[in-house]
Amino acid sequence: MSGPGIPWYLAVSAILFSTGVAGVLLRRSPLIVLLSLEIMLNSANLAFVGFSRLHGQMDGQIFALAVMAVAAAEVCVGLGLIVAMARRRLPLDVDVFSELKG
Amino acid sequence: MIFGAWLCLLAPAAGFLSILLAGTKLTRRQAGLLSTASVFVAFAGAVIAFVDMLGRDTADRSEVTTAWTWLEAGDFKVSLDLLVDPLSIVMMLVVSGIGGLIILYSNGYMKGNDEERRYFAYMAFFVFSMLLLVESANLLLLLVGWGLVGLASYLLIAFDHHRPAAVTAGKKAFLMNAIGDATMALGLFLAIAKTGSVDFGPVFQAASSGALSDTVVTLIALGLLGGALAKSAQIPLHTWLPDAMEGPTPVSALIHAATMVTAGVYLICRAHPIFEAAPTVQHLAALLGLATLLLAGVVALVQWDIKRVIAYSTMSQIGYMFVGAGIGAYGFAMFHLVTHAFFKGLLFLAAGLVIHRLSGEQDMREMGGLRRSMPLTHWTFLVGTLALVAIIPFAGFWSKDAIISSSLAQGGALGWVLYVGCLIGSLLTGLYSFRMYFYVFHGEPSAKVEAAAHGEEAHHGEGDLSMTVPVVVLAIGATFIGLLQIPGVWEPFQKFLEDVVPPLVSPSTGQEWLSSMISLAFATFGSYLAWKAFRAGRELVSAGAIRTLLEHKFWFDELYDAVFCRPAQMLAALLREQVEQPLVQGGLDEVADGTIEAASIAGRAESGLLRTYALAFAVAVSILALVFLVVR
Repeated sequence: MSGPGIPWYLAVSAILFSTGVAGVLLRRSPLIVLLSLEIMLNSANLAFVGFSRLHGQMDGQIFALAVMAVAAAEVCVGLGLIVAMARRRLPLDVDVFSELKG
Repeated sequence: MIFGAWLCLLAPAAGFLSILLAGTKLTRRQAGLLSTASVFVAFAGAVIAFVDMLGRDTADRSEVTTAWTWLEAGDFKVSLDLLVDPLSIVMMLVVSGIGGLIILYSNGYMKGNDEERRYFAYMAFFVFSMLLLVESANLLLLLVGWGLVGLASYLLIAFDHHRPAAVTAGKKAFLMNAIGDATMALGLFLAIAKTGSVDFGPVFQAASSGALSDTVVTLIALGLLGGALAKSAQIPLHTWLPDAMEGPTPVSALIHAATMVTAGVYLICRAHPIFEAAPTVQHLAALLGLATLLLAGVVALVQWDIKRVIAYSTMSQIGYMFVGAGIGAYGFAMFHLVTHAFFKGLLFLAAGLVIHRLSGEQDMREMGGLRRSMPLTHWTFLVGTLALVAIIPFAGFWSKDAIISSSLAQGGALGWVLYVGCLIGSLLTGLYSFRMYFYVFHGEPSAKVEAAAHGEEAHHGEGDLSMTVPVVVLAIGATFIGLLQIPGVWEPFQKFLEDVVPPLVSPSTGQEWLSSMISLAFATFGSYLAWKAFRAGRELVSAGAIRTLLEHKFWFDELYDAVFCRPAQMLAALLREQVEQPLVQGGLDEVADGTIEAASIAGRAESGLLRTYALAFAVAVSILALVFLVVR
């Protein structure tokens, strides 16, 4: 096996995940929040593929494909919502939409 | 015999159920006819059984039939048993026969009432319950019938449910009877615990063979006596009967005069082995009967409501029956029960004709002079009065005087007390009965009577045929039924019952005739005094302390109110203030307030900010991940 070892991949995955979490928590634009979510999902994909190589089994890679499909569907819905909000000229700020508060 | 008994029991039940289930599919008239027919079928059943019984040997006249077993636990067994013997057949004939006549009368009396169907369903239900009571062959079934007649009585007293007085009277009757039911149930439990059976046979066997200790027998007898006192309106549980007159008049005739209130006498006769094993209790029954007959007799002297006078006379006559049953003259007590059913039913129905004519007027001061405008009612009422006062040869003479002479034959202090008391009772009976008769039928007609005589009602005669026929039949009965028992000549009634309820005392023929004549003299003297007072326009009891005492019925109601009702109400009020409001209600308030408070605190977490939720989510997941890492 050539190239860097598994720990490196996992480290990159962890950094990506943390970046995503920070993005979701800190940014107010729904578009950026959606992007950050994608980064989190892809960091998980990276971990899946890494472990797949480690164990020499294909399960992880198949799972990564399934995650991509789900992520694509999710982006469709999310972007659709954002486009709808933009067309109604609603402010693009997640903190403004707080009607569910108790 | 068995077929007749079942027919007798089930026909009124079928009538009741079909009126109930058919609802408005039956017209009011049809409901009345159905109810009447079902009770007359029951009477036919009783007659079939009676004829069959007469054809048998005296030793062979008791029969028990079991439909099915209700519950079985080891040796203990309760079944739906019917007992047909001379005692129960007498009751069956009286209940279904008189009941049929009175329900027939109701067809005319209740016409035009909005809730006729309900009335007739209840009447059939009552007859069924009463038949269950008298036909049952075990104490438990007897108690069931006992409770059901109480229920029917409650429903019918409160029939006029939009009048508060009727509803209150119904409740009062139910509560007083519930006391009796409770003591009876306690006596029954004791009998089950000690003998392991509820059937008449084993229980009576155990009582008379001395297998039970004195205390146990006395307690059982006291329990049964409590039930009998409540149902038969004897002191101290008598206050409900006068109020029960709030019910429709035929109800008063059937339930509160002819049948249900005599159930106590039937019970003492039926359970005579228990009472004989506890003579103290039996004598107590006789003394309470005496007290009741005197008290009711004097209170009746000042009453103005015609139905209440008859109600007090009912209490008084049942007092005589208790005296008879209490000294062991069971046959005579039962005989008085039968004749009383005739003449008291007659008096109530005739009074009903008067009340009907005067559109509901019951005050005797508003009556008078009805002799001319209502001749049939006048004559039948007079027959009833003569039978009640026990004038020869009407029914009451033979039966009541038999009881009085039995108390003479009993002798001893008890016998003499009873004898003298009963004679005074005869005098009182003459006084109040003829006072009522004169006020209603003699003297000058009141304005109301005049108006009624020329009013619309007068064109219909004295009542429908359905009302006058039962009155006439009962009048014939009240005249001749007493001839079933002529001392020294022939005594078929006594002979018929002798094997089932052997009497403890039997007066000689000489004693019977002697005491009969004395009591006849007392009764006649009472009637004469009533006549004189009426002619002179005087009251029998002049104003003063005694009259106040009588008008308040010896303050029994006030006493019970002060001793039982008020403390209970005070306790209830106290519990409401001290327990209910601070503890239960206050506690509930606390719980509710606490919930609201907690919710408002928890609600603050719901900011509605998406990023806050995400943060909480992330923190929670991190903590969980750490925990799993550490704990593995």
